[in-house]
Amino acid sequence: MKLTIDGQSVTAEEGQTVLECALENDISIPHLCMHSSLSPFGACRLCVVEIEGMRGYPTSCTTPAAEAMVVRTDTEALQNLRRNILALMMLEHPSACLVCGRRELCEQYRPEAERAGSTTGCHTCNNKEVCEVRVLADDLGLTELPVPPVYHERPVERSEPFMDRDLNLCILCGRCVRICKYHQGKSVIDFVGRGSETRIGQAFGHSLLEAGCQFCGSCVDVCPTGSLADRYAKWYGKPDIVTESTCIFCDQACALALGAGDGKLVAAQAVNESVPVCVLGRFAIPEFLNGNDRLGVPLVRAGEVLRQVEWEEALETTVTKLSEFVGDSFVLVCDTTSTLEDRHIFKKFTSEVMKSKNYVEIEPDAQGVSRGSLPKGTKAALLTGSFVDPAELEQLEFLIVQDCYPTPASGRADVVLPAAVFAEIEGTILDRSGQKRPLRKACEPPGLAKPEWWIICRLAKAMGAKGFGYESADAIAREAGIPDAKLWVDRPDAPPAATNLELRRTYFRGHQIDEKVRGLRELPVDDSCAFEVTAEKPEGAFRILEKREIAPNVHEIIIAAPEVAKKALPGQFIILMVDEKSERVPYTLSGWDAEKGTITLVVLEKGQSSRKLVLLNVNDKLAHVVGPLGVPLEIENYGTVVLAAGCYGIAAIAPIAEAMKNAGNRVIAISEARSHYLHYYQDKLQSVCDEFVQTTIDGSMGTRGHAIDALTQKLNDGEKIDRVIAVGCPFMMMVTAQETKPYGVKTLAALNPIMLDGTGMCGACRVTVGDQMKFACVDGPFFDAHLIDWDELRDRRAAYSAEEIHSLGRTESVASGKSGQRKCRCTH
Amino acid sequence: MAKEKIPRQPMPEQAPEDRARNFEEVPYGYSEEIAILEASRCLKCKKPRCVLGCPVNVDIPGFIAFVQEGKFIEAAWKLKEQNTLPAVCGRVCPQEEQCEKLCVLGVKGEPVAVGRLERFVADYERNSGKIKVPQIAAKTGKRAAVVGAGPAGLTVAGDLIKLGHEVTVFEALQQPGGVLTYGIPEFRLPKAIVQAEVDYLKKLGIEFVMDFVVGRNSTIRELLDDEGYEAVFVGSGAGLPSFMRIPGENLVGVYSANEYLTRSNLMKAYLFPKYDTPPIKRERVAVIGGGNVAMDSARTALRLGGDVTIVYRRAREQMPGRDEEIHHAEEEGVKFKLLNNPIRIIGDDRHRVVAMECIKMELGEPDDSGRRRPVPIEGSEFTMELDTVIVAIGNKPNPLIPQTMPELEMTKWGTIVVDDNTMQTSVPGVFAGGDIVSGAATVILAMGQGRIAAAAMNDYLAKK
Repeated sequence: MKLTIDGQSVTAEEGQTVLECALENDISIPHLCMHSSLSPFGACRLCVVEIEGMRGYPTSCTTPAAEAMVVRTDTEALQNLRRNILALMMLEHPSACLVCGRRELCEQYRPEAERAGSTTGCHTCNNKEVCEVRVLADDLGLTELPVPPVYHERPVERSEPFMDRDLNLCILCGRCVRICKYHQGKSVIDFVGRGSETRIGQAFGHSLLEAGCQFCGSCVDVCPTGSLADRYAKWYGKPDIVTESTCIFCDQACALALGAGDGKLVAAQAVNESVPVCVLGRFAIPEFLNGNDRLGVPLVRAGEVLRQVEWEEALETTVTKLSEFVGDSFVLVCDTTSTLEDRHIFKKFTSEVMKSKNYVEIEPDAQGVSRGSLPKGTKAALLTGSFVDPAELEQLEFLIVQDCYPTPASGRADVVLPAAVFAEIEGTILDRSGQKRPLRKACEPPGLAKPEWWIICRLAKAMGAKGFGYESADAIAREAGIPDAKLWVDRPDAPPAATNLELRRTYFRGHQIDEKVRGLRELPVDDSCAFEVTAEKPEGAFRILEKREIAPNVHEIIIAAPEVAKKALPGQFIILMVDEKSERVPYTLSGWDAEKGTITLVVLEKGQSSRKLVLLNVNDKLAHVVGPLGVPLEIENYGTVVLAAGCYGIAAIAPIAEAMKNAGNRVIAISEARSHYLHYYQDKLQSVCDEFVQTTIDGSMGTRGHAIDALTQKLNDGEKIDRVIAVGCPFMMMVTAQETKPYGVKTLAALNPIMLDGTGMCGACRVTVGDQMKFACVDGPFFDAHLIDWDELRDRRAAYSAEEIHSLGRTESVASGKSGQRKCRCTH
Repeated sequence: MAKEKIPRQPMPEQAPEDRARNFEEVPYGYSEEIAILEASRCLKCKKPRCVLGCPVNVDIPGFIAFVQEGKFIEAAWKLKEQNTLPAVCGRVCPQEEQCEKLCVLGVKGEPVAVGRLERFVADYERNSGKIKVPQIAAKTGKRAAVVGAGPAGLTVAGDLIKLGHEVTVFEALQQPGGVLTYGIPEFRLPKAIVQAEVDYLKKLGIEFVMDFVVGRNSTIRELLDDEGYEAVFVGSGAGLPSFMRIPGENLVGVYSANEYLTRSNLMKAYLFPKYDTPPIKRERVAVIGGGNVAMDSARTALRLGGDVTIVYRRAREQMPGRDEEIHHAEEEGVKFKLLNNPIRIIGDDRHRVVAMECIKMELGEPDDSGRRRPVPIEGSEFTMELDTVIVAIGNKPNPLIPQTMPELEMTKWGTIVVDDNTMQTSVPGVFAGGDIVSGAATVILAMGQGRIAAAAMNDYLAKK
């Protein structure tokens, strides 16, 4: 059939909707609740269009295309309508950043999302790089909200395996509910509650596990906001490169889209969104491949210990010893998770180079367990996994283990060769029906690890064998007659484990996958032993007396620290270690009580160390608190002093305001926040200061904009201001400095670079102030804001971002406190 | 005569190619047999010259005689009469400049390996678990405070407690040991040994207060006037790193040796992510400087997987580092670019180091230090591609204590002025020693000054 959209004549097929037809013809219509793998829903109403002969504004996602239809998608009225619809939607989403006047400058200054505990704006949202809402807001020109937004203060749910859920970000598009029903045939999650209390959840307050969630991750994949997140992948941002390959955790051979960043695997999901993969395929692969104890360096035995060597030495040692065992006393054991190419080389090496008939290939059972035993008379063995009872290895004279993780076998091996596996290699595997499926390299192996064919070929060559000069797995495939394989993208149904997670395999090459992948330990399997995961308890002498979340992601913590309280002065900070393994991290003192011997910190959960701190509870003890540190702020009677503050700075200026007031100053405090619900300590500031001004980025309370906007208003009005003190994130302080400079007002900023000792000993906290090198810990924290090199400060603060993401990925679910005892079938 | 035929016994150690990849201690130490053999070389001079070379006056022939008889515990006991930290000194003292330099055997052949024997004896005692607590003099009721739990402070504390005084040691960091803990790497001085030495001092009754910054939590004046301490020893160290004052020193990837080593040693960054502090794991590393700290930094960087080059503006002969350390670094694969001076560090648009520009130097006339002054060769500039630069050109004294005690007389270099015979400062009752007095020197010199200070403090307390 033919119809006209925006004056363009297009063809549609029977049953197509207007939206589908438009998108197919590159005519974009804004839409949100619609998703390619879901049936139309018509919930968000952003895809409204005008159709001649129809009343009102029908939603294009639910209107079937019809012959001779005339559709308009881009009229002024439609855009207005859509903008209003989006604005209403944004009233229940942390949307201040979308309507911020300094959005461009902010994103330029800090392009990466900051890793906050709960998201209160785009720049602390893990979904920032791929957010559909941000695109819509840009396209529709959303610049303001009609009324102040609502924040439901729903606790971030992060105690479930693999997924974090922050319903404060949810716009109720229903995609997750629908995909869940579609994939699992039942509603694990659904809309819960009514009216303004409607939210996504499980019936009866059940956990996801209790509600029967299979952790296929489809809900995370379709969520247009940062509301649902893959806990491991969430802070890596958009992968640099996505490679389609095949899962080898079992013989279902599902096609996977594997995303890598900086050569490291960070995400995995189904290639075909309409057919889910199982929990292993969706969530386990990056964590498994990125394990801290992956074998990455060849090891050679020297007496009691294995020492790290280069490949050359490892191969030389192996070959020298191996040549003593040519014949049937040598055995090579592998299992069928190795590629056909690798197995071809294993076999060829065993028979042609070692002249042995003992090539053993094991087929894993339903759990993935591969068990084999060594033929009688074996003296030397090469194992490519943990397949053989360690007792059997005792009798060997020479043992080579070629593997990805250390095992009891590698512990007693004479040589350990680190193998690249899975997404790190190329090759072909056989699925359960005998079809060949391709493995494609998606990421780099750890350290010096190499593909197995490469290792064995090098061994063969070093032993003087001919015919092992392959350049690639492809070359081996050609020799072995392995045809080109095709990904199984169009499989009609989900693999069994995607709808019954108990059917998933639990072993890969003799390695228990659960041991490497935290979230899996919380899933049910059968029952022979209790596998204990003990979260480390902090030790030390500094007790937490009180702790509360005073605004989303902002925590007030009162700690017993009499030595600090006794001497603290406004503007000083402390350095804190949560436990003996923590970083030393500086926090500004927001208050202290010398008599009670307590100090008050206001901490934003942003990154690894603050996360560890805010996840503690009252009565927990911190390992170390040292302070007060830093040069106290000079308090004199300057005249009129403006204290401009954002995020943790709102608390930090409270003691400064009091001291400045006592010194006879007229004190004006300006408190900035993205939205009204992020303000805190307001009564306190109001009672201390002569004038108290609130600003919000979204205009929901007080002056619209940043603190500097309220300040420049005053300066423009000719108000005499003698001194400005800015405390907040570097962006806020930088903006304040830049915009007070033309007025010539003395402006100080409290700098917060990375520190170690905090007493001037290490110089980690170097900053450039007026071309001079200063140490923030002993020369600061306050410096002339007009002279600070802000870009340098930003980059020095971000020096360890990549390492931090790695830490976060590892510690988060321990932090959930849920990892307790569980049952498994391992031998622990 | 027969004795001279026994050669000086080498100490077995990890092969360079192995140890360059791990943080295990480099030498394994003597076995009992080798120790006895080495001890038998000692001539037991009537007037032992070696003792004159020891800043803490250890009875060297005395303890070596016990070793020769196989009485290792007694040897340790003898050693500990004078030396509070023998397991540390046996590892990090420059014996070749001190006791061994004066050994008579050294005139014609090789001196007795005093350091190796000291290390053996101290390790023997610790491993035997038979650590004796010495007789402690009757309580005097006097209280002394020690600022800084480094080598000088620990020595003072150890001596004063044995003399019957009450001693409190205040330390700013979370662990005691000072430079022994944050500065000297695990492969040169295992932290378990420092811990054992500190545990021994705790056993003697010394109170350790961690996370306490004198100058911030209490000033010295307050310790004396308000908190009941009658004498204070300041051993706050040379904790303020020097930089070269060349462009680019604030780039991401430029570290003071202090920061680099503190991350690795104190914060255990080399065990990241088991410990939270991230390590500095990069590919191409330049270490600026030629001292022991430069060698420690270079060898740490090597162990973290870097390709490491030492850049030093003078020649090999002028390098202030111990020969043994320089030799170890060379063996392990550290490269040396001598007679080269950095003039600029170059960064990318995210302030990350990408290169360093250097200029070649030649040696001119001798300078104040007696070493020939390096002079730049005009037009010889060149660029090295790098991602990490570690600046190990020395430390200045930490200014926190002088800043908070204006009456303390200081030198123009920021060190505290003391009477060399007593280590007393311009303020009665306040003594000082270690790097806060001598600038940046060695562990044993700091300990030697600690000995002198402790004796003088004992006199001072007796008179009070």
